[in-house]
Amino acid sequence: MSRPQYWWLPDFITRHVVIALVLGGLAGIGFMVFLIEFDHYTSSEAFCTSCHSMVLAAEPYRESAHYLPVSGVRASCGDCHVSPGVFAATWDHFLGGKDLFRQIFGADYDDPVVNTLHLPDAAFSAREWFRRNDSHTCRRCHVQDAIVGKRADTRAIHQEDAKGKTCIDCHINLVHRKVPSQATFKREPWNRMVDSEFGLEPGTAAKMLAE
Amino acid sequence: MKPLLVAVLCLFSAGTFAAKVTLSPDNWNDPAGKECVSCHTKSSAGIAGQWKGSAHAKAGVNCMDCHKASVDDPDAITHEGQTIATVVSPKDCGRCHTHEEQQQRGSVHAEAVAVIKERMPAMVTNVAGPAIEAAGCAQCHGSTVKLMANGKLDPNTWPNSGIGRINPDGSRGSCSSCHGRHSFSKAQAREPQACVRCHSGPDSPDKEVYEASKHGMAFATNRDQMNLHGETWVAGKDYTAAPTCATCHMGAAGKLPSTHDVGMRNAWNLNTPVSERQHLVVFKDGGKRELPESMKAPKRGSRVSRMDGSLGEVKMVATPQRRRQAMTLVCRECHGKDFADAFMKQFDGVVQLYNEKFGKPAQAIMQELYSQKKLSPTPFDEPIEFTYWELWHDEGARARHGASMASPNHAWWEGMYVVGRNFYSRFLPQLREVAGADADAMIERHLGSLQQHAWIKAPNKSSPLLGVGRPWNTDE
Repeated sequence: MSRPQYWWLPDFITRHVVIALVLGGLAGIGFMVFLIEFDHYTSSEAFCTSCHSMVLAAEPYRESAHYLPVSGVRASCGDCHVSPGVFAATWDHFLGGKDLFRQIFGADYDDPVVNTLHLPDAAFSAREWFRRNDSHTCRRCHVQDAIVGKRADTRAIHQEDAKGKTCIDCHINLVHRKVPSQATFKREPWNRMVDSEFGLEPGTAAKMLAE
Repeated sequence: MKPLLVAVLCLFSAGTFAAKVTLSPDNWNDPAGKECVSCHTKSSAGIAGQWKGSAHAKAGVNCMDCHKASVDDPDAITHEGQTIATVVSPKDCGRCHTHEEQQQRGSVHAEAVAVIKERMPAMVTNVAGPAIEAAGCAQCHGSTVKLMANGKLDPNTWPNSGIGRINPDGSRGSCSSCHGRHSFSKAQAREPQACVRCHSGPDSPDKEVYEASKHGMAFATNRDQMNLHGETWVAGKDYTAAPTCATCHMGAAGKLPSTHDVGMRNAWNLNTPVSERQHLVVFKDGGKRELPESMKAPKRGSRVSRMDGSLGEVKMVATPQRRRQAMTLVCRECHGKDFADAFMKQFDGVVQLYNEKFGKPAQAIMQELYSQKKLSPTPFDEPIEFTYWELWHDEGARARHGASMASPNHAWWEGMYVVGRNFYSRFLPQLREVAGADADAMIERHLGSLQQHAWIKAPNKSSPLLGVGRPWNTDE
């Protein structure tokens, strides 16, 4: 009696199971590739600035050292605002969906006035995100141990005095429009600035914010 | 009389000589401030080093003791987890240096912005442009420090160490104007050099005047005997070699206590079109203002408007005589009474000469030109306006300052000579151009009765002064 051809396979590996495994594996690979590509694309400046509100955020960025460094190493939106690793990145994009929701159903962030009015809150939550993650996206490029700097003691400061601190604790207002720290932020002067910058009747910004 | 005077001066000065901080050290050495030094020794070694060598460092006064802020302060920022403010105001310094802060409040230094409030717009907008306000005017008189909505200090108003700076907390002044940060040295403020940044140049050449005087000469020669670092610095006791600016205008001398009200001992205002002796009115809350001698001194308890227009209750009034007596007390540490009084007489003589011969008539002529619409109301669009401005503001001030601080060169060649030259060879010819046919009558009206101008009506009185008509100048 001859043995079956795949006698060493357990009995439950039937032809159908094999087909399912192969298709499933391919689908899995496809899914991972999709996620990687999805994260890659949705982290790009082109994707982010497809919303007008983000164009407003990108304007100061395009004049910043992160956009135009002498080294030519440009950090794009996702390099700073999306976590490293495909799962974390996907999760960030999933959470970012709420921004899309607000863009569509919330205030008119495409309006530069509304955008500037709400900017501080956006800055505070972004800074909090960096803090919570120990500035992990900064560390993609900046290795604390390798920071030398141009001035004599920059290295020593980053070795000795930065202990227990994370990048964002000191380095804020590098890229986007400058916003004070949350603790000392004062809404009234900010509203006054919005009024005067956009030539509005004094008090308009406060009213818009209350609506 | 004199004990009363000293008592009055003590009231002005609150403390006695070199007010030491009497607070308990519990009031400083903020634990949070100890963290700053390590990083700042690296990131800004200059200021950290200056502080390390300072009396503050020795007493344990650290960065946070001066820079700490509350989140509600308009200029509060978060820095390394601490809430701080960049600008340290007299109010901050006054947390410990109570007497000094109180004395400088309302002083001519603290009110230095108000002094030029009326003048500055024409200077800035007509003669120059806005950029000069930040880099010029405000660097001495003080800026009104503004905050931008992003929390940064407005670069049009900061950096600034102007002596009358209006700070975000509303206080006026900048202690670091004289006590440079971050060593805040007493010695530095006692040096004449401390005043030079502003008290020099054509309109207030006090540096030049002082250096050209015997006082300045004595200081330059005997600088090493000035005990500039002395714990106390009483003229006649801790040093005798020479007086500096601080000696006469602020320093303790004999029984006279020191004061941080730099103008307190000045009887005259010298930087005005016409000088007038001034009362110093002290309000109950420590604020001050000057009132011309021609106004009756207000009574104690009466209400008088302050520089900012609000009313204040009068605590006391120092008459110009009192203020002069205070200044003379400093002189008396070296000079006899007759000497000091006679010097003051020479000084007053120059001020009166300037006033009566040039200041008052020129002012009256300008007023008439404006009221008769011979000049447009806009300042500096006609040459005579520059001539008149410089007559009192530049050479007129130089003459008066030169006489006040014993530089013969500034009293005369840099001062009254230029006043006379410009009055006769520019102001009057320009007046003739502007007033045309009315000029003669106008000149007669304003100068005709003044004996000091009578010589211009005597064209035949020759003099060898111009090198003409003397034997040694004739051709051999």
